[in-house]
Amino acid sequence: MVERGNLQPRPLSQLKRRFRRSRTALWSLRVLYGLVFVAVFGDFIANDKPIFCKIKGTLYFPVFKQYAVDLGLAQWPAEFYQNDWQSHAYESVLFPPIPYAASTIDPKNTGYKSPFAEQNIPSRRYRHWLGTDNIGHDLAAGLVAGTRTALLVGLIAMAIATLIGVVLGSLAGYFGDEGFKISRIQVGLNLLALLLAWFYAFRARGFVLSEAAKNGGLGWELLKSLTIAALVFLLANALAFLFSKWPVLNKKITLPLDLLTMRAIEVLNSIPGLLLLLSIVAVLQKSSLFHIMAIIGLIRWTGIARFQRAELLKIRHLNYIEAARAMGFSNRRILFRHALPNAVSPVLITIAFGIASAILLESALSFLGFGGDSATWGKMLSEARRYPSAWWLAVFPGGMIFVSVTIFNLIGEGLTEAMSGEN
Amino acid sequence: MFSYLAKRLLLFIPTLILVSLIAFGLSRLTPGDSVTAYLQSNPFERSMSKPNDLFNAERAYRQAAETLHEDKPAFYCSISPKAYPDTLYKVVIKNRRETLEKLIGQYGNWPAIQDYYQSIRTAELQLLALPDSVARLASPLKIPLRELYISSQPAAIQSRLDELASILQKDSLLMATVGGAVLEVGEKFMEVKNRATRWQLNIPAFRWYGLDNQYHRWISHFAVGDFGTSLTNRRPVTDKISPALFWTLLLNIAAILLAFLLAVPLGVWSAVKKGKRFDKIASVGLFMLYSLPAFWVGTLLLIFFATREYGMQLFPGPGLGNISSGATFWQKISTAAPHLVLPIICITYPALAFISRQARGGMVEVLKKDFIRTARAKGLPEGRVVWRHGFRNALFPVITLIASVFPAAIAGSVTIEFIFNIPGMGLLTYQSILQKDWPVLFTILMLGSLLTIVGMLVADLLYALVDPRVRFR
Repeated sequence: MVERGNLQPRPLSQLKRRFRRSRTALWSLRVLYGLVFVAVFGDFIANDKPIFCKIKGTLYFPVFKQYAVDLGLAQWPAEFYQNDWQSHAYESVLFPPIPYAASTIDPKNTGYKSPFAEQNIPSRRYRHWLGTDNIGHDLAAGLVAGTRTALLVGLIAMAIATLIGVVLGSLAGYFGDEGFKISRIQVGLNLLALLLAWFYAFRARGFVLSEAAKNGGLGWELLKSLTIAALVFLLANALAFLFSKWPVLNKKITLPLDLLTMRAIEVLNSIPGLLLLLSIVAVLQKSSLFHIMAIIGLIRWTGIARFQRAELLKIRHLNYIEAARAMGFSNRRILFRHALPNAVSPVLITIAFGIASAILLESALSFLGFGGDSATWGKMLSEARRYPSAWWLAVFPGGMIFVSVTIFNLIGEGLTEAMSGEN
Repeated sequence: MFSYLAKRLLLFIPTLILVSLIAFGLSRLTPGDSVTAYLQSNPFERSMSKPNDLFNAERAYRQAAETLHEDKPAFYCSISPKAYPDTLYKVVIKNRRETLEKLIGQYGNWPAIQDYYQSIRTAELQLLALPDSVARLASPLKIPLRELYISSQPAAIQSRLDELASILQKDSLLMATVGGAVLEVGEKFMEVKNRATRWQLNIPAFRWYGLDNQYHRWISHFAVGDFGTSLTNRRPVTDKISPALFWTLLLNIAAILLAFLLAVPLGVWSAVKKGKRFDKIASVGLFMLYSLPAFWVGTLLLIFFATREYGMQLFPGPGLGNISSGATFWQKISTAAPHLVLPIICITYPALAFISRQARGGMVEVLKKDFIRTARAKGLPEGRVVWRHGFRNALFPVITLIASVFPAAIAGSVTIEFIFNIPGMGLLTYQSILQKDWPVLFTILMLGSLLTIVGMLVADLLYALVDPRVRFR
């Protein structure tokens, strides 16, 4: 819901001050800090392992140890092979506030235990404050893990989208339809290189890549393919440089960058996002969180690109850019040193709204059951549909989605306000 | 006006083509063999004891592939390594074609691989043609031999070949009758390995297939409303889509009309009362409403107001109720009406929030204009100033919102229809993914995009109609 009125690019310090003037914006920022804290330190808030414990005179820090084990740096001592952390004879022990992990199954409290119902627990310390689901997962622990998933999705998807959007939007806005001039030979060879790069990187290596996808090591093989593609382009441009000695080949043609970008945006915008996401996930079959983040990033860059384009369209006619041009600075220098730094702050607005919509999209996807294996709010919410009596499964996860979407929208709104209006 | 319309229409054609290429590209990447899914039972798993069985099964597969048009090249042209033959698409059976592709990817010598594949088939035919007395002895040979068709790893192929050889060694009668043909397979495979021409994989070859290809057929039939055949019930995709489209359009058109009817007065009134209490409350409320995830609200409404759990069952549960198959339009709607209230609420409120915020923004701008001050200065009544002078000018941007509201509603109704179990396009999308009914899924993707594009077009035209300045730009 971006209404771009008269946005003023402002230096970040000024932006911060103006942003803090609005109480709601400030509060939403504080809630965001809270969510980030929960996401980062989630393992210390909800975990079935103790934060520290003392057994037979030895001090252990199992939560930290888990990180080391996950990274392959350490191994669990033999006495911890059994997973039940409650059964050890501790001399002293400190469990996290929620003594359950998202994946912990409490066999004594299965079948949708309400937060207010009598629970089969040793003491109040082990109470499921927000209830459990059918197989005995603690909802509060699930919400903590879901916070991490949601923020990760929002952040990474938007990082990808921002990268694509800012690059394409800046090129389109700065050069417009007339500004980008390139020699004939460069156009020709780069088009040829596009075909050849695709051929050598993906078609000729098709067998290797499909084997790697099956047996692991796809990342490495993809890197090799991309290197090949980069080399092909490098070669094409080196050749173009050599051939540009001929005046016939060196004749410049204008590339309508703006038109091309806007067409691409229109094509992507005319496919309903959730439908496209669902189709891609269906085709991929295995939808890990990373896939979903990458796909959301690849289809949600259009808003950022449009915003950035509009911003640069405005900036390129400003006096100081004209002045830079008159000084004979190269396009690259003007774009990176003069134009882009001024266009950064407005993009923050679209990023904030974009994170909200990415979180929403991922929740909808996992609500429908296509979200992969990670603990997500959407998945917990969909559980409520199966068992209407479990109101806590509908209220709390949905509430978390609502809160996170709202605060990102409010931050976007606050940024818009901070940037619009007079000084 | 006409030239403007023509220009807009022309611009939409390349967009539509690109969208169709994306949808088609995705449909080519689908896992599994849709021909086998279509045949439901895998004909090659059936016991085959005579060559005729094999021929019949293959004919059934070929016919199914023909119905699904899988027996054609995929696209007008292709760029592939020289090692691949240009007629590989004629190997209709998908897992065999993929095995051949993988073998070529490893060794690059199509003629030798073709010989090898031919030798497997010769051996299989010989096995099936054996007289009954020997056939029982030969039956252990069949499985490893058939597995060779879909083995592409050299180690796996070698182990199957060794297995075949050891079975043959045990029985001299078997060796005498089919030994030659079966051992020939091993020799042919050695030849594939020894005469590998991997360099051919690095030479690109451009191939032109002409108009008789899958994409051309798909898109040209799509244009006249033939969307292909569903894999689950062998009926035309149209039969599944048209009832679904009815409910989705009904739901969304009702919701959007409702949203516009409520949102426009609300937005205008907020603008008139800008900065007053009403405006502040409305702004905060609408903002909250906009951030509320529709699938959460839907779930809450469903479990609190459509089940008996909490004593507040005001609406019937999920589904549409009993609609008889021969029901007329009005009968259908009247039966379904109580079921549609909650879903319509869920689709209406996000659109409502969005539209009224935009309407307020537009109206606030207009009310600052000089002609409004003039109108007030003339002493016109406030209602007339607001609605006749202000609103008419603020209306233009609001109209174009249809372009963004309608597609959002269509996509959003996936979750809403899923929650309330309404047999519309959204639920159909969900089901076709679960059932791997690809023709239906990609038809929905195309139709959803088409609706979006038409929505944009209509918005552009409305804009041009109400604001003549647009046409001359």
